[in-house]
Amino acid sequence: MLKRKLFRTMKAYRGQFLSMIVMIALGVGVFLGFQMEWVSIEGNTGSFFRDTGFADYRLVSETGFSQADLDRIRDLAGVDAAARYLSVPADLKQRAGHSLALSVTTDPAVSGFLVLEGEPYDPESPDGVWISDKFADANDLRLGDAVDLDYQNLTLSGTIRGLVKASEHLICVRDETQLMPDYERYGFCYVSPELYEKTLGFAFYPQIHVRSDLSKQDFIDAANTALGKTLLVLSKNETISYAEAMGESEEGKTMGAVLPVLFLLIAVLTMVTTMHRLTVQEKTQIGTLKALGFRDRRILRHYSAYAFWIGVVGACLGVGIGYWLAWFIMNPNGSMGTYLDMPDWKLWMPWWCVVIILAMIGMLTLVGYLSVRKMLQGSAADALRPYVPKKMRHLLLERSRLWQKLRFGARWNLRDSLRHKTRTLMSLIGVMGCMLILVAGLGMVDTLDAFLDLYYSHSMNYSSRIFLSQEVGDEELDRLLEAYPGDWSASQSVELFDKTVSLDVYHLERDAIRFFDDKEREVPLGDDGAYLCQRISRDYDLHPGDSLSVKPYGTDQVYTLRVAGVIRSVSESIVLSDRYAEALGVDLRPDSLYTELAREDIAQDSAIRAVQTKSDIMDSFDTFIELMNTMIVLLVLAAAILGVVVLYNLGSMSYLERYREMATLKVVGFRDRQIARLLIGQNLWITLIGALLGLPLGVAVLDYLLKKLAGEYEMGLHFRLSSALISMALTFGVSLIVGLMIARKNRKIDMVAALKGAE
Amino acid sequence: MEIVHLRGVSRSYQSGDHVLKALDGVDLSLEAGKFVVILGPSGAGKSTLLNLLGGLDSPTEGTITVKGRDISRLSRDQLADYRAETVGFVFQFYNLVPTLTVLENVALVKEIAPKALPAEQLLQEVGLYDHKDHFPSELSGGEQQRVSIARALAKNPEILLCDEPTGALDSETGVVVLKLLLKMARDYGKTIIIVTHNQSIARMADVVVRVKNGRIRSVEEQPVPASADEIDW
Repeated sequence: MLKRKLFRTMKAYRGQFLSMIVMIALGVGVFLGFQMEWVSIEGNTGSFFRDTGFADYRLVSETGFSQADLDRIRDLAGVDAAARYLSVPADLKQRAGHSLALSVTTDPAVSGFLVLEGEPYDPESPDGVWISDKFADANDLRLGDAVDLDYQNLTLSGTIRGLVKASEHLICVRDETQLMPDYERYGFCYVSPELYEKTLGFAFYPQIHVRSDLSKQDFIDAANTALGKTLLVLSKNETISYAEAMGESEEGKTMGAVLPVLFLLIAVLTMVTTMHRLTVQEKTQIGTLKALGFRDRRILRHYSAYAFWIGVVGACLGVGIGYWLAWFIMNPNGSMGTYLDMPDWKLWMPWWCVVIILAMIGMLTLVGYLSVRKMLQGSAADALRPYVPKKMRHLLLERSRLWQKLRFGARWNLRDSLRHKTRTLMSLIGVMGCMLILVAGLGMVDTLDAFLDLYYSHSMNYSSRIFLSQEVGDEELDRLLEAYPGDWSASQSVELFDKTVSLDVYHLERDAIRFFDDKEREVPLGDDGAYLCQRISRDYDLHPGDSLSVKPYGTDQVYTLRVAGVIRSVSESIVLSDRYAEALGVDLRPDSLYTELAREDIAQDSAIRAVQTKSDIMDSFDTFIELMNTMIVLLVLAAAILGVVVLYNLGSMSYLERYREMATLKVVGFRDRQIARLLIGQNLWITLIGALLGLPLGVAVLDYLLKKLAGEYEMGLHFRLSSALISMALTFGVSLIVGLMIARKNRKIDMVAALKGAE
Repeated sequence: MEIVHLRGVSRSYQSGDHVLKALDGVDLSLEAGKFVVILGPSGAGKSTLLNLLGGLDSPTEGTITVKGRDISRLSRDQLADYRAETVGFVFQFYNLVPTLTVLENVALVKEIAPKALPAEQLLQEVGLYDHKDHFPSELSGGEQQRVSIARALAKNPEILLCDEPTGALDSETGVVVLKLLLKMARDYGKTIIIVTHNQSIARMADVVVRVKNGRIRSVEEQPVPASADEIDW
């Protein structure tokens, strides 16, 4: 019989119950979604890395490694496998302007690939080319097609033997300036060592890739001893594919920690207030059951069951939302799919999520249990007595003169808000959460817009970037500069403390590249010092006036630089003017030319490796922006749901609590609209305060997210006034709509019934 | 002068399959400035009658005229204005706004009643001026009812409608409240209509209307009503 009562009571409180279920579902869903996302990234990339033998360490030497070098490394204790390796940019003759990373590995177990279609890897194949399936698809290439790959002055002619995926190219980008892969213009392929060595005429491998469990320092020591020289050793953390994939997983962890906490917090708070509310309204019923002879335990179980079932239903829906969210982010055609190129997209539900969800249901039940227990204390007669609301107390504010000027509505609302502190606080938290999500979401768009504008409209003041072949001498550079007037740059990897950073030297006389500081003021390159990116400046506490030493790899040279300024950069780099570099004696090998000319105006040339136009880069951003916009729409939706649910729930609670008061006002002669104005007024005041508090909080969260999620882009936080106004308008819109929904109810107040019975 | 006139007034409620007739063809005419008691057992329809007079409810049939104005077919807002200007209510359970102080509860009506009287003056007269900054929950039942009377009169209405005003009070307090109610009504020249099942109160009335089963049984004028002190509770 009590079970029947359970369902009927649930129906009576459906608004509250529904909103709790929604909050719990959202909280669990967002939590689970992001947890599953990062666990799945780690799981799927992990197995991909393992299956294709992703290298733990990479030895780099510009003079190349011999078979004897490889044997010495392979024989080291703690080394599982090793291969000589090469990855260089090559152009595809069959598709003008489309290029690939041409890779060769002497051992498919190290830095190898998975064949999706076609023949397995064969080092002896005379014409074997295994090409990225995504690149092949985007360029309409099929198994058996002949391909000619231009690499420096050579052409490798082969046949496509397989369509593959490789973990070395998990994130298939040219370099750090390309934010998103563009499989049509840039892909990767493997060629057999046989084809490569035959075309080149000898075996030149500038890298040895190693799989090993040794620590980096142990490995470096062992390798240096084995080969008898100091080598440049990169760990997997220094590769784009590994570092960025782990970065994505980090993002999931961060997102999974911020948002769900908010939703779950609100769900639990709603639970506390609603259960309290419910048991207060049911107090006489509880007393009746007690008087009838039901044991306390039975009654407790009955009322705890509400909380339990709400938790169970909410959690089940949440698991559904979580799977959907994880799938939405983690599917081959979704946002991760455009970024990561891997074969498996399994979704993993981590065990601790199950534990946390069960614990949450347990906690909700406990909250329900505790609020009923309070009502049951004392005798059956005590329980039968109706609930006495808290005594009214005067506010300090009432002593002020301002109070005398307030209208009754304001006084009524102020006292009511302070009398029901939990309710008010929860409304505030709900509004703040709503505002916070909107501000962070819209601010993200503003920040990105400003970043793109600064980076691509102001910083990149050229049309095309010409990548020069590695062997370009001074004469050829002069020849090219004559044909394609512009500025040039030369980059090399240098060792800074324990890190590999890029030392970029620019020759700027045509203003092709501009640099900006954190306040977005232009920083002209001076000839008396180096400019550090913000990350290096921050991480190593280096500021203008300080000096630092960097060491180019493969040499014993050490350059001591004076810090002239700090600039923003998407790559971790130190920037010098060519004059300062020359004064220091830096060996300059120009590799890029920046010109106003369009791609069509740049002729095929053996000194030119590739041409990248500004619009190529912008295109790669389109997908990124699209993803961003989808996320923002989802966030705004979540904010709106959060706002509506919390405000509606609390609004209807407030309505129930003030039912009698409103009936009285109605009897006294207040019109429906005047009463509605009172109710909405309270909502709007709370909304105003919540929104004003939520605004700076949202900016703080945005700042945190930017640092945590996009630190590598060194974006400056931007938040437009229009976004602030839109956030405000949306928050107030939600509040007003909910207010109107509740105010409509007051037309239904039954004055006669409400006024019967004692207070 | 006639202030209230009911002709053929019925009020029925739909409850499930059958129709419940709370009032069935009531005709009644009341004079201004009189003390009227509507008497009857519970369920007789007397509260329904009071609610109709107070504009809390509208009749299903018939017309109600108050001060020459038909109030039986008014819109929600017009009814609200009618309640604000023409009638003052006193309830069995006081129905004060718990979050407003005594003074604020009375002064509240200033926002809606065009002819409102000063709240301080009324509180002086019901003897609660010293308690003006207290909240209702800090007062006794009798005191709360006195605040409620002050609030009803503060609108300066034509008619005071009281639903069992002493029903929740002990007899001693009841007499005090009743005396005050009558004195105030006389001082301000108001018509006062009290609904009760208490025979003793009826002895004090100018007119006694007896109601039973939704119909009026009798309307009896008492030329010399008893004073409150004479009544045995």
